Amino acid sequence: MRNFSLIFKQFSRSVLIIAGFAFWGFSNAYAQADPAKGEAIFKSKCTACHKIDQQLIGPALGPQLTEETDDKYLIQWIQNNQALIAAKNPKALAIYNKFNQAGMTVFTELSDADVTNVIDYVRTEWKTIQSAPKAGAGDGKTAAAETGPSSMVIWGLVAVIIIAFIVILVLNRVVATLERLLLKGKGVVIDAEAEPTAEEVAEAKKKDLIKRILKNKKLVFFIILCGTIAMGSWGWTTLWNTNVHTGYQPVQPIKYSHELHAGTMKIDCQYCHSGAYKSKNASIPSLNVCMNCHKVVKTESPEIHKIYDALGYDPKTQKYDSTAAKPIQWIRVHNLPDLAYFNHSQHVKVGGIKCQTCHGPVQTMKEVYQYSPLTMKWCIQCHKRTEVNGKGNAYYDSILAAHDKIKKGEKVTAAVLGGIECGKCHY
Amino acid sequence: MDSKKKYWKGLEELNRTPEFVEKNKNEFAEPIPIEDVLSGDGLSAKTPRRDFLKALGFGVGAVTLAACQRVPVHKSIPYLIKPEEVTPGVANYYSSSYEGQAILVKTREGRPIKVEGNPNDLFSKGGLSAQAQASVLDLYDVNRLKDPKLKGSEAGWSEIDAFVIKELAAIKAAGKNIRLVTSSINSPSTLAVIAEFIKQYPTAKHVTYDAVSYTGIIQANQNSFGKAVIPHYNFDKADVIVSFGADFLGTWISGEEFTRQYVSNRNNKSLESKKMSRHIQFESGMSLTGTNADNRLAIKPSEEGIAIINLYNAISGTTLPGSKKLSSKAAENAITIAAKELVAAKGKALVVAGSNDVATQVLVNAINSLLGSYGTTIDLDNPSKQYAGNDAEFVEFVNELSRGDVAGVLFLNVNPAYDYFKAKEFTDALAKARLKVSFADHDDETALLSNVIAPNHHYLESWGDANAVEGYYTVIQPTINPVYNTRQAEHSLLVWAENPVKDYYTFVRNTWNESLLAKGGLSGQKGWETLLQTGMIKATPNTAGTYTFNRDLNAVAQTILTHSASIAAGDGKFELQVYQSPAIGDGKRANNPWLQELPDPVSKVTWDNFVAVSVADIKKLKLSEGDVVKVTANGYTVSLPVLAQPGQAQGTISIAVGYGRTNAGPVGDNVGKNAFPFYSFRNGTFQTTATVTAFEVTSIKAPLAQTQTHHSYEGRSVIREAKFTEYKKNPAVHSGNEKGHKNYDEESLWDVPSHDRPVYDWVMAIDLNACTGCGACVVACNAENNIPVVGKDEVRRRREMHWIRIDRYYSYEEKGESITEEYEIDKLKDDAFDNVTVVHQPMLCQHCDHAPCETVCPVLATVHSSEGLNQMAYNRCVGTRYCANNCPYKVRRFNWFNYWNDSRFDNYLNNEHTQLVLNPDVVTRFRGVMEKCSMCVQRIQAGKLKAKIEKRPLKDGEIKMACQQTCSANAIVFGNRNDPNSEVSKALKSERTYYVLEELNVQPGIGYQVKVRNAVELEA
Repeated sequence: MRNFSLIFKQFSRSVLIIAGFAFWGFSNAYAQADPAKGEAIFKSKCTACHKIDQQLIGPALGPQLTEETDDKYLIQWIQNNQALIAAKNPKALAIYNKFNQAGMTVFTELSDADVTNVIDYVRTEWKTIQSAPKAGAGDGKTAAAETGPSSMVIWGLVAVIIIAFIVILVLNRVVATLERLLLKGKGVVIDAEAEPTAEEVAEAKKKDLIKRILKNKKLVFFIILCGTIAMGSWGWTTLWNTNVHTGYQPVQPIKYSHELHAGTMKIDCQYCHSGAYKSKNASIPSLNVCMNCHKVVKTESPEIHKIYDALGYDPKTQKYDSTAAKPIQWIRVHNLPDLAYFNHSQHVKVGGIKCQTCHGPVQTMKEVYQYSPLTMKWCIQCHKRTEVNGKGNAYYDSILAAHDKIKKGEKVTAAVLGGIECGKCHY
Repeated sequence: MDSKKKYWKGLEELNRTPEFVEKNKNEFAEPIPIEDVLSGDGLSAKTPRRDFLKALGFGVGAVTLAACQRVPVHKSIPYLIKPEEVTPGVANYYSSSYEGQAILVKTREGRPIKVEGNPNDLFSKGGLSAQAQASVLDLYDVNRLKDPKLKGSEAGWSEIDAFVIKELAAIKAAGKNIRLVTSSINSPSTLAVIAEFIKQYPTAKHVTYDAVSYTGIIQANQNSFGKAVIPHYNFDKADVIVSFGADFLGTWISGEEFTRQYVSNRNNKSLESKKMSRHIQFESGMSLTGTNADNRLAIKPSEEGIAIINLYNAISGTTLPGSKKLSSKAAENAITIAAKELVAAKGKALVVAGSNDVATQVLVNAINSLLGSYGTTIDLDNPSKQYAGNDAEFVEFVNELSRGDVAGVLFLNVNPAYDYFKAKEFTDALAKARLKVSFADHDDETALLSNVIAPNHHYLESWGDANAVEGYYTVIQPTINPVYNTRQAEHSLLVWAENPVKDYYTFVRNTWNESLLAKGGLSGQKGWETLLQTGMIKATPNTAGTYTFNRDLNAVAQTILTHSASIAAGDGKFELQVYQSPAIGDGKRANNPWLQELPDPVSKVTWDNFVAVSVADIKKLKLSEGDVVKVTANGYTVSLPVLAQPGQAQGTISIAVGYGRTNAGPVGDNVGKNAFPFYSFRNGTFQTTATVTAFEVTSIKAPLAQTQTHHSYEGRSVIREAKFTEYKKNPAVHSGNEKGHKNYDEESLWDVPSHDRPVYDWVMAIDLNACTGCGACVVACNAENNIPVVGKDEVRRRREMHWIRIDRYYSYEEKGESITEEYEIDKLKDDAFDNVTVVHQPMLCQHCDHAPCETVCPVLATVHSSEGLNQMAYNRCVGTRYCANNCPYKVRRFNWFNYWNDSRFDNYLNNEHTQLVLNPDVVTRFRGVMEKCSMCVQRIQAGKLKAKIEKRPLKDGEIKMACQQTCSANAIVFGNRNDPNSEVSKALKSERTYYVLEELNVQPGIGYQVKVRNAVELEA
């Protein structure tokens, strides 16, 4: 069902994309050449602070530029708003004050023609947005599809049906037997031992064969041995891996994709997990880190809206309401028991180990799963194999020298420096 | 080895009582009742087949079900908006102050988890008392008031404000009196708030009341020099110190500061320059200070005044009228010797007295004046402001109350319903006032009588400041948002005074901006921020002037003599002395389980107070320890168990105050009995001594939870002691190493050389001459290492969990000869117990290189590290307890219960809220495993990591153990023995260094330095 919803989502997404392309082509056919240039400039220079239909850091440009018809003023403003403000232009001052005196970037490099192109582009875009039917029906549908029954329920139902089926079969057999007994009791003898037919003869032969096989002690012993070994090794690995949760992949409250952020967008791990360099905890980023980008990026996504809801943030007014804030409860993927002390900074900052060494190819994970077993054996193996990264670290100078004196030439691994002693991690 | 002097921890050990012998035969005092279970009905009873199958079926089913849950889901909840300064997993430190002492508060993820000393602190330079260490636990006390209360039921702050303002206005209109009763306040901002309050309500008056008061000293200085102050004492400048009952290393005025000063003339550094101060103590009960004295004389409280008169006579060469000789010849002799030494050390001498009697203190002032102490060892121009209580003022306040003159009373940090000696009179009188406001954060005894309880913040939630000594200003800043719906008392006062500044933070800022910042050369926002970082301002101190005493002493002597006569008891009767124990103090922190379980430094009793009686009197009365006696004095009677206290003056008993709270909370309630009612009020001050009018022996037994003889060495010699005269001739004297350390490796069981220590070899050096035995390290260790509290019953079963303990050893010193053999002890007169000497020895895991515990562990749960640590892997331990059996130092502790999650320990740490105090870097241990000192391995690891991240070698002294950090005496030094220049290497190279039980060749990692006593022979 999950797959179904995914397929549906992808399908609706592609429909939307196709529709969007068609729309784009359609509007392009109508527009003149100027807005196309304007669009390029708009996308490279303006989108950091402006949107056409929505207020971002600056005002929503669609209505703003449509209402303001004095193009000359607009060109002046866009090219050098500071000059206008300095000249105490009343219109300029009004908008400057409205946006908390946040100065707009100066674009003196744009020619008048460039600016006119941009204005044209914005105005046509705004018109088309206003005339176009509201998009988003597709979004609604996908959301509805997501709320369908979970796979657990489906599998549960299937299991119930199968069990019910088995019960019916068994009951049928029981009923049949009882009927026969009843009839027997009434004296109606059903002649079960009639003359053997050819089929029955073949049946008997088969039974004979099985009996002969069962009497072959060597074979039986061999089969039992194989069975024991198989069961034993299965049992051994099961027990050995008790509480080892490699592959653990819980469903998170927000469908955050590391594949997108770390893989496609190539955002550095430290940007969000800033603790990894200085603390024992790599730490899950607080939502203000998300908001650094998502104040602007993907503001319509329902997943991003979960962030907004958690913060009590209203994207329209861009205001935070701390009373409505409620924390997001992520589900921990990598769980070390309390009795083991692990420090990220020791490994990442001092040891220079890549995140992927333990966490696997996170940049390809749509949903994060536990890559390493996180067992003590796994820790120790690495400590035994990894050479200490002491180059350029004055802390290690005397230590490595001291080791060199005792065991010349031997590889100085973490284990050699006491990395497999109990008290290094258990206290 | 070489010292044959007999040391013993308790009389039961000395006399080898059958009970002691029996209990010490086994490692654990109480055997596990395995035999009972095996031989009981449990196994012989027949289990029917069907029952067996049922149990089996249920068991298999339950286990299967329990195993079904694949992964326990752990939630991870990040900050919504992370404060910039917080990094989860990294501790933040904030400077603040505790009772005027600058501290650093360690917080993790926004919650304070430990209090540490500020190395720049004026008093102890980084040391902290046990009480300060334990104060962080009070923050998480679940019994604190969660809301303000109006007439006994919970109310909102607006209701409270409306009610109080209405009442105050009515009182003001009626012209009735308002009294603001507080403990000593030295905070400039709080005093300003009170002034504002009084401005608004002119009938209000500020009354300062201290349960344990120093009015005597303040009044005496007023009488002698016209300065009503407690002077600032400089014990570090004193070569000869004579104390009459002043427990200056423990509870007297500023114990931590005096400890640091005192030890600076007795520690390794001082000894190496062949210098050691002399300390003579005259006292009745054995105090912490008395245990450290070079010569200690047990005298009765009634003779204290006479002794001081005699000392004055001997120094001045005159004879005050009415002078008489002391009953003890040794004491009389000691007075003569003390006088001679004091005069010889003129300008470097100091005489102090613990008495709260004005006349006694005036006479002490006269002696100090003769000795030229003013301007050197006593500083009257930079006085201490730690105590300012005025006893007479408070008594007058109670009188006013009973006359009905006072209509409104506000109590801030005082609890007279518990600690005023005439509590009944006070309670009755208080009923006459119409407005009674308490700022207590607990429903304490006084709060119960109040109609408004406006709970104050804990100090870790507060803004504020302090000025404990002239010119020394410290700031208090909050380290956590208020946990409950409390409000700072100053804020309440500002609101009620309808002050334009309602917010106390702004008020504090204003106070500092106006005058205080400038004293430290700071100003403005920048100055304030600097202050918050440094935590203090030290203004240039005034020059300590010299003062000469020139008042008539005849009347003074007369008052002293009358007073002495009034408390002198006849033959066979007792004189009573009431004192404070260093752990519990005046009882304000009685609800703190860390303090209750901290053994008293002298008696080693936990969770109780008791009647300390001299050994001779115990024998005379045919009492045995734990017998309950009824003591009556000043018309008040308590029943308490007796304790035979060596060193207690014969004919005297001592009882500690601070116990017997009835409304402290579930931890402190009904622990011991209240001794405050034994106080009396004479000549304008509270008196702590009295005549016992009745001493009745009952048939009840109440065994004390005393830790002194737990963990026995089977009589092996572990203490080394030398006289200063011997030390000067040969620094290695009595250390057992006069001819250098003996090499035991020839007959060693272990491989030689044993382990490689290529880089670090973590060791410790403990100077027995610096350790005063105060016990602050024990509480610091509790806080750092999440050590559980076990409660009185479990302590009685010898199951206390402290990783570090202070062993207190008594020994005899008779006629300058130490008693070495047991037959000699038998011949001793009972008087000998008056003259015991004491050595304190901190004992913790010795991290032996050849650790006997490691060889017997069947599961390798305790192993050695390449850094010289004896490590304990709790999750490997299966609880055989072989290691504890095989440990010669008896420092391993077994978890008999799951203390953190067991309803039997509800009062202590078994609740989620209190557990917020846990150090997240150290695990809590489960039932059935061993634990012991880890040498703060979490600190070692953190220190190394910090150096690695900063790419620099580890510096000596960078890593400090929790016990070391809190020690005001700097008795503990920790470091790397592989580094020849480290402090610890230097300390261990001292000739005085010896290793406890060195002869076992377990090669302990902790070296002790011989105790040196600067004693002289007293009886000619």
